Amino acid sequence: MSAVSPRADVAVSLIQVAKSYGDVEVLQPFDLQVGEGEFVVLLGPSGCGKSTIMKMIAGLEEVSHGEIHVAGELVNYVRPRDRDVSMVFQNYALYPHMTVRDNIAFPLTMSRRPRLKRDVIGARTLEAADIVDLAPYLDRKPAQLSGGQRQRVALARAIVRQPAVFLMDEPLSNLDALLRADMRTSLLEVHARIKKATLYVTHDQIEAMTMADRVVVLNAGRIQQIGRPRDLYTAPANTFVAQFIGSPRMPLHDLEVRDDGTLSFADATLTGDADVPLAPGASVTVGLRPSALRATSSASACFAGKVTRRDYLGSDSYLDVDLGAGLSVMVRAEADSAVRPGDTVRVAADPGAIHVFDDVGARVCGASARRQKR
Amino acid sequence: MTAMSTTEHKTRGADASKGRARSGLPRSRPAISLSYVILFIGVAIALVPFLYVVSTSLKESTSLFSYPPDWIPSPIFWGNFESLFADHPFVLWTINTLFVAGAVTALKLWFDSMAGYALAKMEFAGRRGVALLLLLSVAIPISALIIPMFFVVRYLGLLNTYWALILPPLANPLGIFMARSFIVGIPDDLEASARLDGASEFTIYRKIVLPLIRPGLVVLGMFTFMLQYTSFIWPLIAVSDSDRQVLAVGISGLQSAFLQDWGLLSAGMLVAAVPITVVFLLVQKAFVFNDLSGALKE
Repeated sequence: MSAVSPRADVAVSLIQVAKSYGDVEVLQPFDLQVGEGEFVVLLGPSGCGKSTIMKMIAGLEEVSHGEIHVAGELVNYVRPRDRDVSMVFQNYALYPHMTVRDNIAFPLTMSRRPRLKRDVIGARTLEAADIVDLAPYLDRKPAQLSGGQRQRVALARAIVRQPAVFLMDEPLSNLDALLRADMRTSLLEVHARIKKATLYVTHDQIEAMTMADRVVVLNAGRIQQIGRPRDLYTAPANTFVAQFIGSPRMPLHDLEVRDDGTLSFADATLTGDADVPLAPGASVTVGLRPSALRATSSASACFAGKVTRRDYLGSDSYLDVDLGAGLSVMVRAEADSAVRPGDTVRVAADPGAIHVFDDVGARVCGASARRQKR
Repeated sequence: MTAMSTTEHKTRGADASKGRARSGLPRSRPAISLSYVILFIGVAIALVPFLYVVSTSLKESTSLFSYPPDWIPSPIFWGNFESLFADHPFVLWTINTLFVAGAVTALKLWFDSMAGYALAKMEFAGRRGVALLLLLSVAIPISALIIPMFFVVRYLGLLNTYWALILPPLANPLGIFMARSFIVGIPDDLEASARLDGASEFTIYRKIVLPLIRPGLVVLGMFTFMLQYTSFIWPLIAVSDSDRQVLAVGISGLQSAFLQDWGLLSAGMLVAAVPITVVFLLVQKAFVFNDLSGALKE
């Protein structure tokens, strides 16, 4: 096993953890530390292994390789109930035959060391219910509650144990958009109040970006990048992260570096911002983030092309702009912009709009664009 | 948060009432009439034999074979019922039957639900093999098992005891399959959640699984109870002592090779039907669908 030891201020530490089912490797070895009070989101598409990580920490899945430490203690061979973690399941997993009160109190009634007295259980149940505004519903059964209320019962049941770590497996995935936004806020309020390490699984990048202190992006059983939401957006580690984070999705173009270390993109020259210039002749992939490209009338524009499509989103619009030579970009415009398909527009690139990746998709640098002189 | 939830609740309520309205499709009058006629024929077919038994039990032997038959006895003759209790240990047979059927039902529900839980939810080597073996054993007819069962029970020295009536039916694996099928439907996340909450395997079984499969267990219990209550062949073979005789065997003994007292037999059958009817009425409220609503996202 690994000789690396978890730090004392780390609530959860995963050291070279991997998971395989027979010959099928579903999670490649990775390290991850979650600090005390930190809110870490595991983000990735369906089947990428994020829920498996959660279940391994909870003890509901065996670890094929590596070590898991919770609150400084190696828990690989510790039973789920003794791991000091609480989990909110993707499906709420409420006990339908019990009232809200009994659902919330269940972990406390199961407690053995020490066995809790009835009045202590009652007080802690009420306290947990209060945190999630469920006190008026304590005598109802789950079937008599709305989706959001059921979700809060599941949350209260996790809170009542006062664990070292909270695990939340896509807890909001089936709520409607409005309720989901409310619940996001509620969850963050609860987190701010109890200040416990939280690992939160989602495939929704908005949830990840708005809630996380740090985001772990996963794809196909491999960690793609770990970083703050802003880092993922401004400096994606690879093309997967670049396309997964940000909406609309970042279009990618394969280009070849010219002899002078620059790239030719439509009628613009792209220059890398790294200290080391791009290697002449190298194949690279360039991504242009739509939200950082603006339709403009300014002479400082670096591209110009014909609008082929306009998507109205309310707060703003996005234009598909054909730059010619098989290249196109997506560009943000004012919501009430008069530009229509068939019009020609100029496009300006904000700093951080352009990203250069190498031939295996890893980020090389950012780039700036300027219009070529003709 | 609370205000938002209240609004949401009202919307759900409105949806539910729409659903009820949708399910009540109007039907044409001839269709309704036809369905009543069919139902009436069905009820008549089911009731006529029963009414004939009632009628027979209230007649003297001499008036049983009159033609055309008198459906309503005149005068009503209670002698068959008096003879049943005065000349035969009918009460003892009933107590024996209720005791054996009750014990078998209780033990079977306990063992079958535990075995069903293990087969449905626990991971262990050979789980599929065990399930397959049990399934195969369901297919073996009782007639093929009676002689080996008799030798086993005799070898154990249990002939003529209550154990001879209680233990062999417990080995019927059909109940395990029924229990397993109820338990398989319970979402795995419920157990996982309970496990994380600190519940042991047995607590999960007792506090989460058993309450959720209660309606299914009631069905299995009634099925088992009725099967035992009417069981004839095995009790006939396993017990010859009249003190441990059960109803089905006792009633069959009311007829002899030379005398068929149909009135007495009918009275015996009618009285024997009373306890099981009472049991059925007592538990019929529990015949409701397994309600998992609210457990998971919908």
